[in-house]
Amino acid sequence: MNIAISVQHVYKDFKGEQVLKDVHHDFEEGKIHGIVGNNGSGKTVLMKCICGFLHPTSGKIFVGYKQVGKDMDFPEDLGLIIETPGFLPTVSGMKNLQILASLQHKIDDDAIRGTIRRVGLDPAMKKPVGKYSLGMRQRLGIAQAIMENPSLLILDEPLNGLDKSGVWDMRELIKELRAQGKTIILASHNQLDIDELCDTVCEMDAGLLTVVRA
Amino acid sequence: MRRLKQVWTVSAYNFRGWHKNPRIIITFALAFILCFLLSDKAVQFAQEYGTTMQSVEAFVWTFGDSNSILLASLLLVLLFADMPFLGAGVPYYLSRIRRSTWLWGQILYICLATFLYMLFVLVSTSLVCMRQSFIGNMWSETAAVLGYSGAGKAVALPALVKTLEMSTPYECMATIFLLMLLYTLLMVSIMLVVNIKKGQFWGVVSVFLFSLYGFLLNPQTFNVFMQLDSGQMYIANLWAAWLSPLQHATYHMHNFGYDLLPRLWMTYGIFGVLILLSFISALRAIRQYNFNFSGTE
Repeated sequence: MNIAISVQHVYKDFKGEQVLKDVHHDFEEGKIHGIVGNNGSGKTVLMKCICGFLHPTSGKIFVGYKQVGKDMDFPEDLGLIIETPGFLPTVSGMKNLQILASLQHKIDDDAIRGTIRRVGLDPAMKKPVGKYSLGMRQRLGIAQAIMENPSLLILDEPLNGLDKSGVWDMRELIKELRAQGKTIILASHNQLDIDELCDTVCEMDAGLLTVVRA
Repeated sequence: MRRLKQVWTVSAYNFRGWHKNPRIIITFALAFILCFLLSDKAVQFAQEYGTTMQSVEAFVWTFGDSNSILLASLLLVLLFADMPFLGAGVPYYLSRIRRSTWLWGQILYICLATFLYMLFVLVSTSLVCMRQSFIGNMWSETAAVLGYSGAGKAVALPALVKTLEMSTPYECMATIFLLMLLYTLLMVSIMLVVNIKKGQFWGVVSVFLFSLYGFLLNPQTFNVFMQLDSGQMYIANLWAAWLSPLQHATYHMHNFGYDLLPRLWMTYGIFGVLILLSFISALRAIRQYNFNFSGTE
């Protein structure tokens, strides 16, 4: 079993309040790992710690063989959505993704167009993102997460705001990504998403992580 | 080269946030009003005497005064209050770069935005006196009256003979512009460090403390409290000129060859070193910084 992410005895405090309590878990490579839990249970904080945005108060997180925050600032080869996707509201979706892609120069415009089509949007659409519906922004968020073909995806509520067909499309896309061997961590409130998509399921409750389905 | 481009992209991301942003519009509108109010004294004086002004003289006489510099620089707090600019789009940028690259992008943005703001202040003050000004690089009759007759002192305009005799209007304007820019950059860089280490509230508090320190460390303040004689006043002047960043930013509080005040190049050096130290401190602090993005939850 290859471990993609190893979370080792992680605690996280915010001004004396313990948000993560001794979270210890290994996430296997090439699978979809679901994390469920109520609002404020610590799901997003755990994901932000894995992404390197928050430093654990104690404990370690390894992605591959590298420790997040020590060997690297943020995991390399990572695609992510952290809840509501934020884009430049005054430019088109294509332009937004072009700007993001220019940071790493891994892909060209054709690849960006292909990804935008893959999530059900039109790359030629000139409409600024500020005028997109929540569902369209969510699709664009998924496009930015997958466009550079990362091996690790951290998706926090990726299906929020999508209509029925949108949810179906994105579920298919996520399954397709698993078939390509990607490791996906998915947080969702929707039990159906978790049941249908995830190979393993963990539950966060008041900062404690317990395995529901291994 | 790639990192430089990343730095520029991060900086440009912040500038794109200026589009139709009410906070930015209010900052620049208030800056214009401030320039109008502050330079009014010089313009009124020229109108009263029926004399012309050099186009940058309003800027020179207005921002040769430490209080005007203080007010203009404080307005920048509005522009940078939400440093280090953690909008909902930032996670997408961060996950593709390094922490230090992101911070360099913020530093570049801060430097460019401060420069643009100062340029706006310069242009605004020049526009205010446009009707009675000329663009030739020589001091006007207004300057001569203000400087040589002592009228400048009477109306609290720092039109000193040494200013007139040691430089040309554009040279003087460029020096004052650079002093103001460096002073403001130092203030903003301190705010950046404190924001990263202690949070936005303390960042704003640090700016007010920094400004208050400069405002109070003033020879006139010493005089009010201690009733100094001329010898003691000279020493107080020296102490303030060396210790107060605001006095360092004030043109006439420098040594032009006949006293012990700091020379201009010394002030540039002091500001430069302090700004650099602040940026280094921010780069160290960002390694342990916890990113809490606005608008993501």
